[in-house]
Amino acid sequence: MSSDFYKTSIVPFAGIIIKLCRAYTNSQEDFEDYYQEVCLQIWRSKDNFREESQWSTWVYRISLNVCLTLLKKKKNNVQHFVSDSITAEQTEDNYAFSDESLNLLYDAIRKLSEIDRAIIMLYLEEKSQKEIAEIIGTNPNNIGVRVKRIKIRLKKILDGKIN
Amino acid sequence: MERSIENIWKEGFLKSDALVAPKINNLYNQKSIHIIDKFKRMFKINLIAIVAFSFAFLIISFFVGIPITGVIFFVTLSVLVFINKKLLNDLEKIDLGVSSYQYLKAFNQWKNKQIAINKKMSRFLYPIIFISMILGFWFKDAEGMPLGERLVGEILIGFPDIYLIFGIPLIGIGIVLLILVLLAFFGARIYKWDLNIVYGRVFKKLEELMTDIENLRS
Repeated sequence: MSSDFYKTSIVPFAGIIIKLCRAYTNSQEDFEDYYQEVCLQIWRSKDNFREESQWSTWVYRISLNVCLTLLKKKKNNVQHFVSDSITAEQTEDNYAFSDESLNLLYDAIRKLSEIDRAIIMLYLEEKSQKEIAEIIGTNPNNIGVRVKRIKIRLKKILDGKIN
Repeated sequence: MERSIENIWKEGFLKSDALVAPKINNLYNQKSIHIIDKFKRMFKINLIAIVAFSFAFLIISFFVGIPITGVIFFVTLSVLVFINKKLLNDLEKIDLGVSSYQYLKAFNQWKNKQIAINKKMSRFLYPIIFISMILGFWFKDAEGMPLGERLVGEILIGFPDIYLIFGIPLIGIGIVLLILVLLAFFGARIYKWDLNIVYGRVFKKLEELMTDIENLRS
């Protein structure tokens, strides 16, 4: 990979990639693998960027699509989507932020379905319903309702832990 | 006061440790772990192996006196390679930069197409391989005459009343036909079982993702 491309086109948006990859992984090792893979796929797909959307939106799409369909071998050598069935209990101790509330929020997000994870991450990044719908490829009218439901579910999960 | 998830998110990422990118080393030479790249690698390895095997077998078949088997093998496997090369080209066209629904749909359609085509081909592939072996050995030279005719001659000595069709024992034709039917029946299933063992869980997950997005679209 050209280091220039990485510095100019990926590093400014690394926050987006980090936040998404964190939601779909449960260990530092997986997170680093996901991050690298997303960067690799952005670099490989860069010629397909047609400037119909903002670069940041396009980076979101690539990151999300990679996270949704990444394959990793687990210990029993069977291939899985890693994001499948992650529980807070499975998360490694050293894979944490210094902000405990953020850790709890991430643990709660990891309990959601893959698509719900994507929606709430985009919502928390202050993307509009229209933008979320465009990234996911769905109807904007249903996004608002889904966000409300996800927030209620997250609150329930968090209340169980925080209170 | 209870913090909202929006505040937890905003405030959590203000801390300096929250967004530290991992170090990237030699990324371009990293082996991709993405499902599409894994399929591409699997297809390329399979196609190279099939081409190498069919060439080697074609040459060997002439040396061991079963050129009919070698030629049928070669032609059949060439068709298999040609069709799978086209499928591989379709896979290369899947764009990661489109919406998740378009991307998952494109990959799902490719997956269904390749399963349908390869299942159909497996239904013919195993019987063709079997019949090519039978024909190859039937016409193999055995001291001046085809091995098949020589074998029938020896059977007729032991069983002179055996019923023949075009010089071939009816019971032999029956057994070959039965094996052909079984191979055609199980060929497609063997392919599906094989694929399900490796990718079954992934395919199921893909269907679930599609269903979830489709529910949101409706």
